[in-house]
Amino acid sequence: MTNDSQSDIPFYSSQGNEEALFEHAYGNQLPVLLKGPTGSGKTRFIAHMAAKLNVPLYTVSCHDDLTASDLVGRYLIGDGQTIWNDGPLSRAVREGGICYLDEVVEARKDTTVVIHPLTDDRRILPIDRTGETLHAPNNFMLVISYNPGYQSMMKGLKPSTRQRFISMTFNYLKAAQEQEVIEKETGIDAPMAKKLVAMANALRQLKDHDLEEGASTRLLVYTARLIKSGFDPVEACLAGLIEPLSDEEDVVSALMEVVYASFGK
Amino acid sequence: MEEHVGQLWDKLVTRLSDKSYQEASISLSEIAKPLGIFFRALGGDNALRIVESTATQHYAKRNWKHRIAGTGKYIELSWQDEDTLHLPKQINTFADSDLNKDLYYWLAAINAHSLENPSAKARGLQGWFIYSQQLTLDVLARFPGLGTRYQRLVNAYLLLRNSDEQLNEQEQAQEEAIAQALKQPSSIEQLPVSQYAPKPVILWPHPNPPEVADLSRRKNSAEDDHNGESEPSKPKKNDQENKRRNAERVDMPDGKDGLILHRFESVFGFSEFLNVNRSTEDDDEADQDSADKNADDMDFLSLARDNNTKGGKVKFDLDLPAQSIDDVILESDVLLPEWDYKKQNLQKDYCSVVNMVHVSAEQGELPERLRRTAKKLRHQLEALTTKRVWHRHQSEGSELDLDAYINYVGERFSGHKVEQPDLYQQLRSSERDLSCLLLADFSLSTDTWLSNDARIIDVIRDSLFLFSESLRNTGDQFSIYGFSSRNRGHIRFNTLKTFKESYNGVVRSRIQAIKPGFYTRMGAAIRYAAMKLEAQDSQQRLLLILTDGKPNDLDRYEGRYGVEDTRRAIHEARAKGLQTFCITIDDQGGEYLPHIFGNNGYTIIRKPEHLPQKLPILYANLTTDPA
Repeated sequence: MTNDSQSDIPFYSSQGNEEALFEHAYGNQLPVLLKGPTGSGKTRFIAHMAAKLNVPLYTVSCHDDLTASDLVGRYLIGDGQTIWNDGPLSRAVREGGICYLDEVVEARKDTTVVIHPLTDDRRILPIDRTGETLHAPNNFMLVISYNPGYQSMMKGLKPSTRQRFISMTFNYLKAAQEQEVIEKETGIDAPMAKKLVAMANALRQLKDHDLEEGASTRLLVYTARLIKSGFDPVEACLAGLIEPLSDEEDVVSALMEVVYASFGK
Repeated sequence: MEEHVGQLWDKLVTRLSDKSYQEASISLSEIAKPLGIFFRALGGDNALRIVESTATQHYAKRNWKHRIAGTGKYIELSWQDEDTLHLPKQINTFADSDLNKDLYYWLAAINAHSLENPSAKARGLQGWFIYSQQLTLDVLARFPGLGTRYQRLVNAYLLLRNSDEQLNEQEQAQEEAIAQALKQPSSIEQLPVSQYAPKPVILWPHPNPPEVADLSRRKNSAEDDHNGESEPSKPKKNDQENKRRNAERVDMPDGKDGLILHRFESVFGFSEFLNVNRSTEDDDEADQDSADKNADDMDFLSLARDNNTKGGKVKFDLDLPAQSIDDVILESDVLLPEWDYKKQNLQKDYCSVVNMVHVSAEQGELPERLRRTAKKLRHQLEALTTKRVWHRHQSEGSELDLDAYINYVGERFSGHKVEQPDLYQQLRSSERDLSCLLLADFSLSTDTWLSNDARIIDVIRDSLFLFSESLRNTGDQFSIYGFSSRNRGHIRFNTLKTFKESYNGVVRSRIQAIKPGFYTRMGAAIRYAAMKLEAQDSQQRLLLILTDGKPNDLDRYEGRYGVEDTRRAIHEARAKGLQTFCITIDDQGGEYLPHIFGNNGYTIIRKPEHLPQKLPILYANLTTDPA
């Protein structure tokens, strides 16, 4: 990473017009939904855009125990009194900034009710507990992300929620671009990066048929880091690319053949 | 005595001529799964099935040992066609089993890759020579890691090729050219000509893959297709070596012309196709054995579609069953599209669905033998019913959790420094808003007997009963339909229970009345079911498909066409926000399933008789949030 004035902005390599689209959405106070497979750069994109637009970023990684009050805030019982404590969403609405709900389908259903009034033209956040109604300032933006490929029978984004957002799809990068990203992120040499990308693309062909998901750019970066720091490439692929994709022994051994096809045996 | 000596001699020379290494043999079945994954990862088509290849005649010169023993005429090579990837049944070329395994992977790799102009017929021998070298080069460029493995294989293989036989000059030149082409692909462009075909190269794809020449195009006309499905009445395990054979399809001679030999100078071998009545032994087993033996000796099998089917072995519906008076048509001529993967387009209004319901005055009862199980399952599935419970120790809630508060205060007064605990409780219902449509396959194949007293259809009937019994109290909305088809114009949809109806005696009598018939045009059935389910206003909508095999119908709806159309229908349903899941009792299935339904979109029940008990449990697992 260079040390010039841009150094605070996390590296992001554009797939298309998503940066312009995001800026327009931000300028018009429109909420945004990011779709895409794991590790395709959604989180990095938001970090990049927040830095570029120079607004604070509140990231909430959603999980199945995340309730509305985790977002809005709660009363804490103090010494003889109760103190209201803002959640990340309320704080973002109060102070302005991007509130990013990562993997929003993981959260409990009641959380979506909280974000609905923020996504239409009212742009308000009613807080029942305190009786307040917060009005979002112009520099507040709500961003949610989800992974449509991740099919859980009981989880999916309701159409009524989905239709409240400007949506953009993230996909794996083109081979040449992904290679560049990996070189930039890890400092690994070009031939090795190329090999890794070719292999990842081979593994991605197995999506939906043999594997639930393809190898993500993030996994590639991790693997490249292992290799860069001197770890054996084949072993690094096993640990960084293959084992994370499957638990089944015969699938792992078949995938290792793909690794050998790239690195030799 | 003579025969005995002959057998001994045969054994001896066969062994002498056999240069394979049985002890290092790797069979395809051992490594088919990883090989399939490897093949697909390297760019192979997802929809291809891997099958054992046919041994094909190679027309190359054989050495004296082979000639004496009468072996070595055939070799198993690799190639792919529209539906399948053909790989040798077993590889025992090398003494080292690792090399044999490597060869499998290498064959998968070159077959995963294809160049422009893939038609092998058009290439010819010279074309094949150049093509194979170019292919090798391309594969090695894409996956450089295969290089060392390839070199190892080539070195070992060339040693084997340099055998003890005498070669004339031309043959020598040919061998050298092949050796050079193997060692340095694309370094040589011309394959020297010789009297014989070049010795087959196992590292390269088949020079002239056998095509199933379909001389008598399957006609779509109804008259040919009235035969119905012919299958043996008793399911027979085929333990014999399941060898695949070359075959062509020819027109069935009508037999009126008689047998007139025009070619007086040529003598017919027994392998030539003649429509004469050969005697068949009465005993099925003996018949099968001798037929197998003959087939082994033939170079080529000719198949004809005969209009006469062997009596006793066939079940068929000559026509629609008489429109039974108790079937009422609810909806007919519903037109649906179908996906043609070859043209990659959706053929509009291609299929026609008729939706009917069985009407009976009787109030059906749950069969006595299922009652106990039903009761047990009902209890198990009660967990699915929505209940409101107090969740304690919550950070947020409608009321204070007094216990937690007292503990907290108590600890604070006693001087402990306590972290902020969760002091609220909340009354919460595990909310569940789910509609499930169960679509069952009623095709004729469900008429197969599983045991002495149960057919697949009986198992399906029991499953539908238990499924309904278990779900009636859970509050989930469900409907049940069945389907079968006879060509694209007549897809029968049997309504057993709609979402609106409650599960009662009428529904039970309909389930009781189900019977198998016709074929499995799954794509259209799924599309129609998806339409029904889509109209349901629930948060979760689940389409459960219960089937016993691959999609197939009388016309071209079979093999890859049917699979691709079904896959398309599933994708369409998912795009509508429906969840799909397939339960299959096809014990040989599996290969095509992930392609249609996705990696986690199906399950195989190996023992169909367990289906009735398993179905409700499976449903419960599917629809319960793991959290």
